[in-house]
Amino acid sequence: MSTALSLHQSRKRKNGVMMALCVVAAGIGLAWLALILGALIYKGLSGVSLAVFTQMTPPPGDAGGLLNAIYGSIVMTIIGIVVGTPIGVLAGTYMAEYGRFSKLTTVVRFINDILLSAPSIIVGLFVYELMVRPMGHFSAIAGAVALSILVIPVVVRTTEDMLNLVPNALREAGTAIGAPRWVVIRSVAWRAAMSGIVTGILLAVARISGETAPLLFTALNNQFWSSNLNAPMASLPVTIFQFALSPYEEWQQLAWTGALIITLTVLGLSIFARSLTGRREDR
Amino acid sequence: MPAARGSRDATVRRFALTDAIFRALTKGAAILVLVLLGGVAISLIAGSWPALSTFGLSFVGSEAWNPVTEKFGALAPIYGTIITSAIAIVIAVPIGIGIAVFLTELCPRPLRRPIGMAVELLAGIPSIIYGIWGLFVFAPFLQTTVQPFIIWMFHGVPGLNSLFAGPPYGIGLLTSAMILAIMILPFITSITKDVFDTVPSVLKESAYGIGCTTWEVTRRVVIPYTRVGIMGGVMLALGRALGETMAVTFVIGNAHRISASLFAPATTISATIANEFTEAVGDLYTSSLVALGLILFIITFIILAIARYMLLRIDSRAGA
Amino acid sequence: MKPMLSTDLNVADTTVEKAKIEVKGLNFYYGQSKALKDINLSLPERSVTAFIGPSGCGKSTLLRVLNRIYELYPKQRADGQVLLDGKNILDRSQDLNLLRTKIGMVFQKPTPFPMSIYENIAFGVRLYERISKAEMDNRVESALKRAALWNEVKDKLNASGLSLSGGQQQRLCIARTVAVKPEVILLDEPASALDPLSTAKIEELIDELQADYTIVIVTHNMQQAARVSRQTAFMYLGELVEFDRTEKIFTSPREKRTQDYITGRFG
Repeated sequence: MSTALSLHQSRKRKNGVMMALCVVAAGIGLAWLALILGALIYKGLSGVSLAVFTQMTPPPGDAGGLLNAIYGSIVMTIIGIVVGTPIGVLAGTYMAEYGRFSKLTTVVRFINDILLSAPSIIVGLFVYELMVRPMGHFSAIAGAVALSILVIPVVVRTTEDMLNLVPNALREAGTAIGAPRWVVIRSVAWRAAMSGIVTGILLAVARISGETAPLLFTALNNQFWSSNLNAPMASLPVTIFQFALSPYEEWQQLAWTGALIITLTVLGLSIFARSLTGRREDR
Repeated sequence: MPAARGSRDATVRRFALTDAIFRALTKGAAILVLVLLGGVAISLIAGSWPALSTFGLSFVGSEAWNPVTEKFGALAPIYGTIITSAIAIVIAVPIGIGIAVFLTELCPRPLRRPIGMAVELLAGIPSIIYGIWGLFVFAPFLQTTVQPFIIWMFHGVPGLNSLFAGPPYGIGLLTSAMILAIMILPFITSITKDVFDTVPSVLKESAYGIGCTTWEVTRRVVIPYTRVGIMGGVMLALGRALGETMAVTFVIGNAHRISASLFAPATTISATIANEFTEAVGDLYTSSLVALGLILFIITFIILAIARYMLLRIDSRAGA
Repeated sequence: MKPMLSTDLNVADTTVEKAKIEVKGLNFYYGQSKALKDINLSLPERSVTAFIGPSGCGKSTLLRVLNRIYELYPKQRADGQVLLDGKNILDRSQDLNLLRTKIGMVFQKPTPFPMSIYENIAFGVRLYERISKAEMDNRVESALKRAALWNEVKDKLNASGLSLSGGQQQRLCIARTVAVKPEVILLDEPASALDPLSTAKIEELIDELQADYTIVIVTHNMQQAARVSRQTAFMYLGELVEFDRTEKIFTSPREKRTQDYITGRFG
């Protein structure tokens, strides 16, 4: 009786300890998030001013802003999305529709999942070999292509997943009315999966708007205003990288402010994207 | 009526054509995904060819990295990459699984969604943010408080004293590993949480039914049932850690040497490429950096392929 | 022996009325497994035929052969003959989209497209016809009237098809099918997901539609088959056991298995 009781108690104690450790783990995880966001807001907010959005990146030791970097980031992100999204949506569509049962789809899905988590710096090297070396110079368009290569796997994945959620009965209904497959896909399947696909695209925007490594040796950086796609272009992440590692206080401050801008953008996009699918699931 | 019939036939022919075109388009896009990966492999091999043909296999085995004499070896970055990732995994896996257990078993229901969401958002924060935070906040904190204390504590202990040898720079192997651990934590947590959710509730309920504690259910039922999936998640996180660039580049110190101390500055493959690529002069230098990229590509490809294979297995079981 | 029997019946039937669809020696396979075995029957024009039988007997499969919707999936194939007005639709040269404009289908669960009520109907019409806005309005209205839905939706034609109730959605699907002016309408357990009131409406509708269309309905509800159909086919384990006028099947079936099923001894 007493041994049974003590065994019971030791099991309970062990359970208590392990569960306490799990709570501690969760506490640590949340604490990191709080620490990082706290530091970001504390250090970044003090540098936020109108000048950040209206002035160019300054030479060392001067005050200035991030306008050309923000502009470059927006331009390259838009081109990256515009190039990558159609390819990703079409590929995902093949996998969920025409090729749903084909061997090719299994292979593409496997390779796509690897591309999805492949180191982004490798993509930078690839585009360097593909475009920068043959062209002989760095360019915004090379940076945008590198970003589009990061967009594709994200969009492929969500498009396929979302189309797979569309009930087959809906496809059959479209087919039964005499619509050819591509009309069924365009007018029925895509429409039914629309909010999910848009979520995927937004998540892709969130992902590439903070990417640094693939831009380092494709778009490089540019101290000045440039809208020439065939020339090096500044971007927020690369500017942050360069400024943060510099010894100049003004530059470091701008790096923090830039980091805050990127983080808020990315978090905002992710929350908005998730809220889209959240509503879908509720229905 | 015959006219209507004729236009209908024309429509049918048009549909057959447009459908074939659309099908070809989508198939082409799917094949492009394969071409992309193939293109990455080919371009890396082509780009690294000068270095590999010059140094041969010794490229992998040599610690030398001298742009002036044009002697290059990948050993130091490979060492740094593997050590930082390994330490990061050791730190992040127990914490990540702990959070997953907390979220599935302990967390009060109303908090589950917000905390789960916070973890996912943490996964979306760009790595450069971790880098800048590591450089300006975390490294100085380690340098002034934690590192001197550890160095003092293990001063006379054989083995540990060389592992934690000073001076305290703040930046270095261990700092990078800790930043990496924070970065991959959300990945491990969210995948572990997902595979925990695949455990049939009858299985858990019957274990609770015979009087198991929460810990015993987790340890004896949930974790064994989801072992393969957890391993897949860990491998995926390892893939991320190995290839992570910006978070590491800020705090690794970029020193091409292998030292016993975890506090010493070192380098990783991706940090080396990020730091030196645009400044590399000479074909051999550039080519050596691309060769580093090729090595990273091969390592991560293998790790990620294993990860996907494991996650595929648990998916098919959950589906069945 | 059995094929002989059903052939006899076909002869008896076709003498009375013109056959719209004739099925001859039809076999169907899911991969290796044979789901339909040597089916022979003929469906008379402008009348309702019901397929009944326990689940898995192949009644839905047979229906899905008639508009070749099974072609959406790999490893499903049919051999034999299915003649629509004497032309074999299983022929390779048969254009599938065209076939489906002639043979419409309504499914078990309502399947409104993710678009407005108006667009749900206009979508199919627009595929093969270029007509003016006014004509289209007329087509939509008459299709909705035909499906006894007009009065309920005429003020909200731009609302989403998904906003309707289950019974209304199903009638929208029937309207959508009718709007493209098919010759045959296939109904795959069209009322099984609906409440009794909606079911009654659908059955009433089927009764009205048979004046203009050849209708085939699959149902697991024997009373429903008895109420709506003029002839009934009883299927079991992929075979056509018995095919006759509905009163005959339900009052004095020739086969013991049919009798067992309609009296509720299995299935």
